[in-house]
Amino acid sequence: MTRYVVRRLAQMVLLFVVFLTVTWFLLYALPGDIVKQKFAMNPNIPPEARQVAIERLGLDKPVLIQFRDYMINFFQLDFGLSFNQYPRKVSDIIAERLPRTIVLFLTALVSYYYAGFLAGKYLAWRRGKRGEMAVTIGGVGLYTVFYPWFALMAIWLFAAELGWLPISKFLNPDEWRNAPFTANQVFIRLFVTVLAVSIFMALVVLLANRIRDHRPRALAKVGGVALGALLFVWYWWGTAGGALMRPYAGDIAEHLILPVAVLTAVNFAGIMLLTRSSMLETMREDFILTARAKGLSERAVRDKHAARTALLPVTTSLVLAVATVIDGGILTETVFSWPGMGEVLVTSVSNEDIPLALASFSFIGVMALVGHFLVDILYGVLDPRIRVGG
Amino acid sequence: MSAPPLLEVDHLVMNYVTEKGDVSAVEDVSFTLHQGEALGLVGESGCGKTSIAMSLLRLQAENAVFKSGEIRLNGENLLALPEDEMRRHRWKDIAMVFQGAMNAWNPVYRVGDQIREALDLHFRPRLSDAEATERISRLFEMVGLNPAMANRYPHEFSGGMRQRAVIAMALSCDPSIIIADEPTTALDVIVQDQILQELKKIQRELGMAIIYISHDIAVIAEVTDTIGIMYAGKLVELGPTVEVFARPKHPYAYLLLSSTPSVTGPRRKLAPLEGEPPNLLNPPTGCRFHPRCPFATERCSIEEPPMETIADGHRVACWNWREVPVSIAQEARP
Ligand SMILES: Nc1ncnc2c1ncn2[C@@H]1O[C@H](COP(=O)(O)OP(=O)(O)OP(=O)(O)O)[C@@H](O)[C@H]1O
Ligand code: SF4
Ligand SMILES: [Mg+2]
Repeated sequence: MTRYVVRRLAQMVLLFVVFLTVTWFLLYALPGDIVKQKFAMNPNIPPEARQVAIERLGLDKPVLIQFRDYMINFFQLDFGLSFNQYPRKVSDIIAERLPRTIVLFLTALVSYYYAGFLAGKYLAWRRGKRGEMAVTIGGVGLYTVFYPWFALMAIWLFAAELGWLPISKFLNPDEWRNAPFTANQVFIRLFVTVLAVSIFMALVVLLANRIRDHRPRALAKVGGVALGALLFVWYWWGTAGGALMRPYAGDIAEHLILPVAVLTAVNFAGIMLLTRSSMLETMREDFILTARAKGLSERAVRDKHAARTALLPVTTSLVLAVATVIDGGILTETVFSWPGMGEVLVTSVSNEDIPLALASFSFIGVMALVGHFLVDILYGVLDPRIRVGG
Repeated sequence: MSAPPLLEVDHLVMNYVTEKGDVSAVEDVSFTLHQGEALGLVGESGCGKTSIAMSLLRLQAENAVFKSGEIRLNGENLLALPEDEMRRHRWKDIAMVFQGAMNAWNPVYRVGDQIREALDLHFRPRLSDAEATERISRLFEMVGLNPAMANRYPHEFSGGMRQRAVIAMALSCDPSIIIADEPTTALDVIVQDQILQELKKIQRELGMAIIYISHDIAVIAEVTDTIGIMYAGKLVELGPTVEVFARPKHPYAYLLLSSTPSVTGPRRKLAPLEGEPPNLLNPPTGCRFHPRCPFATERCSIEEPPMETIADGHRVACWNWREVPVSIAQEARP
């Protein structure tokens, strides 16, 4: 397993360097020399300042040197200065926007995958019975609905008419006027605690799998997951720091509900149909017959054998989904006025803010690769055949 | 043969309901199985062998319908049991080595854990971890596997090893009956023979009953006491293996045996078995074998021949069994 992880990591880094190189040359090779237009020929910038800017941005150097410098700086997390918000650092802009996007879309991703998997499992098992039709039509209907319209209708109904949920934005400014934290601190704390707990749970389950004996193994897994959940509750309710921040985290969570629910509603059907076909295929396998012949109940056959094995192709599809987290989010961020990376990407490209666009693209690349990597690991954990093959 | 039978299949009729009509896959089949007995079921592909095997565990396909008959295990009709009681009999009383058992393992769980699953279901009180591990080790040794392999995943086993492990799993709950449906067809001949011999040895040692299913009559001949010949959903001849081999009475059995190279003796003269087995959606009237039978008379296409006892434990369903040459060896002379 370790060798597998290391190999995947190395592949990932290599792939990223290639990706970054291609993106860099693509953007800098754009016709019309945007860089010069923006600084060298911009009449609004006085000649001296222009000279300073050009030198600071390194635009007077040969292309290859510029490229070399960019790469060196990039891996020191220095992405240069924004053209349009000059002299703001690109890294500051991204540091502000990225956590918001990740928190929103990761939550949505987990939510719609989980809903889709459960629904798909149900469909496969109730094949040909009542209920199947209703769920399928409902799911596919939502899947094919015109998304921005659906999102606006949801906002209108749940926020404007019923007033159950906040209308848009990611927080309520009134509550934050005297807040001792910035929104980003809260976002990051939320993200870190959730991530830490997830990693903790995953590690416990992984380690527990090494226990040879049956009951201690099951016990360790359940105990580990419960302990992880308990740690999370303890942090946000039990510690001084957590309790102080909790109302603000709660405000953000409240703002998350509607976009996550909408994203789940329109996306779960894809996962549902995938799970369903994967389950139906698995149920034709001989080992399902073996499981039945052993005297297992239908429920145990479904959950322990069919669903567990049918999970594999669903996990593969997660790779693609993780990669679309950002670009698929542009629409969502616009409709819900959620100021995240999607918005940065659109404005930086349309304003030809090359350093910002480049860095934004890189982060999409990084997220896609990291997502891919995590799913690969997950797949290795789920499917013992992969572990050895790697 | 005076002990009450372990298993009685009594005039079993099972159809598959399809869009095109009913497939008559098991038609009026009766046989008994005593403790420690090895019974073989032979017949061409599609004659209903697997359908019978699945019926015994009540794992028949969803579109299968039992029209009549009973399957009695120690006198209790399995077909009348509620599902959760039937579940308790599976594996504990009747275990199975499936056709294509190569894929009998779930790829994501360790082999030992999959055996453990059966132990946990059927042993009361439950076995402790140590007891279970010990039991699985012993089973592995019995089928010639290294006990350490129990901690491995199925893909780490070769085909033959996987099949041995399947046998270990079938033995795990001390069943009184094991059904082996084409247990070795996917393996190469040498491994096939090794595994069959071992299965036979274990079966004799543990004194359990076994039903071997195969389309290969030579395989069955080596390991069974009793043999049943099936044709198009019907059991057409049932008798002691030696007897049926030496003096088959049913024309189909006769042709089948004479077209098979002898297991022990010199190669028999090949008498052709012409034509195809019938479509079970619409089986022939009267005797199902009549379109292919060289001994057929007018009566055969109209009236169905009943199972007739012609000697102790030897039954045949044919109007004209007396016409069938007594010995294949004699007939072989031109
Ligand atoms: N679910 C089903 N629906 C309809 N027909 C079926 C079904 N399962 C089997 N059959 C048909 O029933 C007949 C008996 O099938 P079965 O699998 O019992 O034969 P078999 O003797 O085991 O054959 P083989 O040697 O190929 O395994 C065949 O004609 C087959 O096509
Ligand atoms: S009953 Fe008639 S057709 Fe059938 S096997 Fe006997 S002789 Fe042949
Ligand atoms: Mg079969």
